[in-house]
Amino acid sequence: MEGIISTGLIGISLGGQYALLALGFTLIFGILGVVNFAHGGFYVLGGYVAYSAVQFLGLPYALAVALAAASTAVLGFLFERLLLERVIDDHLATLMLTLGLYLMMSSGILATFGPESPAFDFPLQGVLRAGRLYLPLENIVVIGVCLTAIVLVYLVIYKTDFGRALRALADDRRVAMAQGMRPTLLFPLAFALATGLAGLTGALVTPILSLAPHVGDPVLAISFLVVILGGLGSIAGATIAAFAVGMVEAYSAVYLGGSKGALLLFVVVLIVLVIRPSGLMGQTAREA
Amino acid sequence: MSTSLTTLLRKAGAAEIAVIVIIAAAFAVPVLTANPLAYSLTNQILIAATASFSVYIMLRMNLMTFAVPTFMAIGGYTSAICGLNYGMTDVIVIGLLCFFIPALFALPIGALVLRLRGVYFVLVTFVLTEITQLLLFETPTLTGGSNGLIGMPALTFFGVSLADNRAVVQTTIGLALVAAIVTAVVTRVFRQQFAGIEENEMLSQSLGLVVWHYKAFGFVIAGGVSGLAGFALVNMLLTAHPTSFAPLSSVNFIAYAFIGGQASILGPLVGAGVLVWAAELFSLRGEYSQMLFGLLIVVVVLSARAGIVGTLFNLATLMKGRNQPLRLAATEERP
Repeated sequence: MEGIISTGLIGISLGGQYALLALGFTLIFGILGVVNFAHGGFYVLGGYVAYSAVQFLGLPYALAVALAAASTAVLGFLFERLLLERVIDDHLATLMLTLGLYLMMSSGILATFGPESPAFDFPLQGVLRAGRLYLPLENIVVIGVCLTAIVLVYLVIYKTDFGRALRALADDRRVAMAQGMRPTLLFPLAFALATGLAGLTGALVTPILSLAPHVGDPVLAISFLVVILGGLGSIAGATIAAFAVGMVEAYSAVYLGGSKGALLLFVVVLIVLVIRPSGLMGQTAREA
Repeated sequence: MSTSLTTLLRKAGAAEIAVIVIIAAAFAVPVLTANPLAYSLTNQILIAATASFSVYIMLRMNLMTFAVPTFMAIGGYTSAICGLNYGMTDVIVIGLLCFFIPALFALPIGALVLRLRGVYFVLVTFVLTEITQLLLFETPTLTGGSNGLIGMPALTFFGVSLADNRAVVQTTIGLALVAAIVTAVVTRVFRQQFAGIEENEMLSQSLGLVVWHYKAFGFVIAGGVSGLAGFALVNMLLTAHPTSFAPLSSVNFIAYAFIGGQASILGPLVGAGVLVWAAELFSLRGEYSQMLFGLLIVVVVLSARAGIVGTLFNLATLMKGRNQPLRLAATEERP
């Protein structure tokens, strides 16, 4: 029984990470209509920025994480403003641009840091024991930061003028622009918010999992999986799906082992799509 | 030129004929040279082009598929299993199997994924390639798992062994030629139906077009064409391994079609030629090769939205347009 609960807590930890990633991914799609193939790249970059800040600048880990989130957000802002904005209405072109950026980012990291995984450890080690329950402290920190970030994103999107403007632009860009909204500023800011979340996740999670130039590939696949399951563009759907995916992954890793868990996950997604093609909370996915 | 030949050429389409002629001309490569680099480039370009034809077929219906590696894997493993388990070596028989078995798999998969459109279709086909990759690792008795399948007997063509490098290139060219002909015929014969679906699926349906039939047919043919690419790849590498069919490789095939120009069948061929050649050139720069490849994609997307072929065509049209008034003016000035 204790094993089931401990695994569930690990699942929540995974779900929190996936939710942060998927929130950024689905925000970019929901607001800009862009499938961001570079999302995994921003995750990796966040990890390397945090690692560099700790290793070379001697910054405390918490500050390094904040720096990673800020720098990936700035890069995202500049990328959207200078390049993506030029082809924003062409889905295929935006996909290709983000893919080009991902190739440049991952190979830039590879050229700078080499192919080996650097020694980047989570500063807090140890296990929390409650009776016969065991939970690594690092996972508790990850859960705490992720849940805080998710709540903040919700507050920004649903309770601020900035969030309302973004949702208005996502809903009907022409009407929103007629009301004075400026997509040339708001779109880069939305992109920055999303890439900042990816960078934050990378900085937070790579010391626990692994940091290497190509760890962004599976992250992209997970982001896809979560947004498909949750429903494209749906923030609530992405959050629920992320935790569901985290749970399935944690339990299947423990009780099935190997890559059977991942396979089960993908099959579950396919079954959901057969029953409900628009995902858990998507409404217009078929037309997306 | 006789009238019947002119009519045939017009029906076939200039781009389609050009693609078939260019690929057929590649048979000259193994005759003219024994250079391993030339062989390697020809192999890589034509395998990439074959896979991109599959993307092109679906793009005709405004569907961007990431499922190419899935069907390539089915084709590639079919050829390996035929050789290893059943001792089959005839290139024509294996070629037919590598086309029809992936096409057969495409039918039920299509029934599932063709219900979706746009970005959702993109994401779901990407997930499909992830599932394929995991299945290849999780079924070692059939696919060799992480070891892959090696040691296939050499192919034969009417009893002649196709074991040496020259024969491997010729096999790749032959398979690419078949794929190009199939793609050209399908996209020309169903040009109007595909264009109707691309322009407005709902309107086409309301006007009586059975959209589902054409989408399913296109997906099945695209699956078969991908299978041929997988066969050529396994034949070139002499191994069928899951990493040869990585999910992200689908992005490359889309990039070839997009950078070359998605409006014409020449696009995938030109895109594959330029990008594979560029990747080979960039590989001299070691770890910077992917960066240069990414930069090339960004530059082409920003400066040549219609792709290489589309931009050249637009430039030619522009030049023609500029020349037209000059000629008229010259005519008017004539006494």
